[in-house]
Amino acid sequence: MATPLDLVGRSGPGPREAAQWSAGQVLLTDLRAIRGRAYPRWRGLFREKSWVFFEILLPFLGTSAFVFVYRALQAPIEYVGFVVLGGAMTAFWLNVIWMMANQLYWEKTQGNLELYFAAPMHFMSILFGMAVGGIVLSSSRAVVVITVASLLYGVRFAVEEWATLATVFFLTLTALYGLGMVLASLFLVWGREAWHMGQLLTEPVYFVSGLNFPVARLGFLGALSVALIPLATGLDAMRQLAFAGADFPIGTLSPLVEVGILVVMSLASILAARWMLVAMERRARRDGRLTVRWR
Amino acid sequence: MSAPPADTDFEAVARAGRPGRDPLRSFRAAVGLGWALEANWTDPLLFFIYSVAKPLSSALILVVMLEVIGGPAGREFRPFVVVGSALWTLVVSGISGLAQAILEDREHYRVLKYVYVSPSDFLIVLMGRGVARLAVGAAGVAITLAIGVVGLGVRFDPSAVDWPLLGLCVGVGLVAIIALGILMAGVCIQTRQESWSYPEAFAGALFLISGAVFPVSVLPFAVQSLGLLTPLTWWLAGIRRALFPGGVDSIGGSGSAFEAIAGHAQPTSGDIVIALLVTGTLVTLASLAVFRWSDRRAKQAGLYDQTSGS
Repeated sequence: MATPLDLVGRSGPGPREAAQWSAGQVLLTDLRAIRGRAYPRWRGLFREKSWVFFEILLPFLGTSAFVFVYRALQAPIEYVGFVVLGGAMTAFWLNVIWMMANQLYWEKTQGNLELYFAAPMHFMSILFGMAVGGIVLSSSRAVVVITVASLLYGVRFAVEEWATLATVFFLTLTALYGLGMVLASLFLVWGREAWHMGQLLTEPVYFVSGLNFPVARLGFLGALSVALIPLATGLDAMRQLAFAGADFPIGTLSPLVEVGILVVMSLASILAARWMLVAMERRARRDGRLTVRWR
Repeated sequence: MSAPPADTDFEAVARAGRPGRDPLRSFRAAVGLGWALEANWTDPLLFFIYSVAKPLSSALILVVMLEVIGGPAGREFRPFVVVGSALWTLVVSGISGLAQAILEDREHYRVLKYVYVSPSDFLIVLMGRGVARLAVGAAGVAITLAIGVVGLGVRFDPSAVDWPLLGLCVGVGLVAIIALGILMAGVCIQTRQESWSYPEAFAGALFLISGAVFPVSVLPFAVQSLGLLTPLTWWLAGIRRALFPGGVDSIGGSGSAFEAIAGHAQPTSGDIVIALLVTGTLVTLASLAVFRWSDRRAKQAGLYDQTSGS
């Protein structure tokens, strides 16, 4: 019989292989894991009353500040709409950075990460559950920002292609949360730098993504953002579709081209996330250090 | 050897140390600890980029917004938005510093109860931690302002600066920012889940009413009045007036709440200093009162040795 010392440094079968389950059992366990990881996020929406105030009302005030900047400059009303749409999409970006990318590092510091590695479900289902819960959570904030700001600041949307707009929104979320899954593995490896990286990916990304103005105004930098950052691509496409007839600067890509970019981003990020998780899981079991706290 | 105090209360025994010297030592140790937690372990290049990128990006967003709408005519607003967005980094650092210290020690490192029972004044320890974060924010402000002048075309004439006004506004404003940090620390002692975002959310609300990136007169009348009650509004206006005399003001204007209250359209430097002193003093006293109340209640309810798992 193997003693604990015999197991040190050995890369044995993972919990899934050890369980010797049928494909149906594996699928059911993964679905349960998705539901279980999403549950605290959407349930927390109703349980924590102060959350409504701090997570919805006060960020709305932040968006309002930029609306007043455009008002002070007597900008056309569609620019106020650009800010409102940007403010709504920040809910998803913040969720991706703080509740996807940083989450595994926090799970490590709280001691949950080793339980995930030891449990017999695929790690992707944990991340997928986080994403589903996060989308529900962030959608509530985005809906409040759009609804209240539209009523309060007189934003009028001019949508002619609802189906394309819905497709762009869905693809943007897929690409964003796919990127979040990739970053989750990276942040875990970066350890304590995760917090600084999270800060670094907030305002600078808002700027290069053209959060409050058409991204094509940034020239080459804007084009680079559209090619690499799902927030920039999705926001630019959604603006064109939600404010049909508004003037956009020369160099703005058509929404259909941006749909193509978002499809590529979604596939690439999900495949990269899967590959990174497998590598990380192997490393966690082989070295036994990835789950050590305070590193 | 002096006799031990008759009072066996722990805090009374702790206070019987060397008045003046011990608080200073506690403060210094807390600043050092704050710096160690914040920065000294990190990659210096990454930390520098992180410290500068955030305020600089905020300023760039506003500069592009000005260019998009105002074109060359919008450039007179550049000093306004660059100063406002740079200084706001300091506000966020100051407001969140003390609250984050409580949350980190309670939820993350789980040492808050040990810090509390150490023979140092708890508020002094917290202020030390907050000052460390404020110092990091101040470095970001200085570099952002320098980049604003060198790279963003903000015209700055050192000989035109009103140095006494600048010194006074910086000093009183920093006290007010730390006081707001104490207020948020008092709130975060009481709140449980998801308190991490409260300080930044509170700062976000103040951002709207303080004239950080647009003149207060754009706001509805009632909200303008609310803005005039915060010391941050006067602090920003004072520093702008001192650094760029004759530039765009964030307070006042025809038909503004300031004009209705003061009887003249634009505040004088004297108005700004007096308003900053009055609002700063009121906020400081109120923040200390809230913190002391929160501290008492936390001791009674055992909040210092609980974690909420957030």
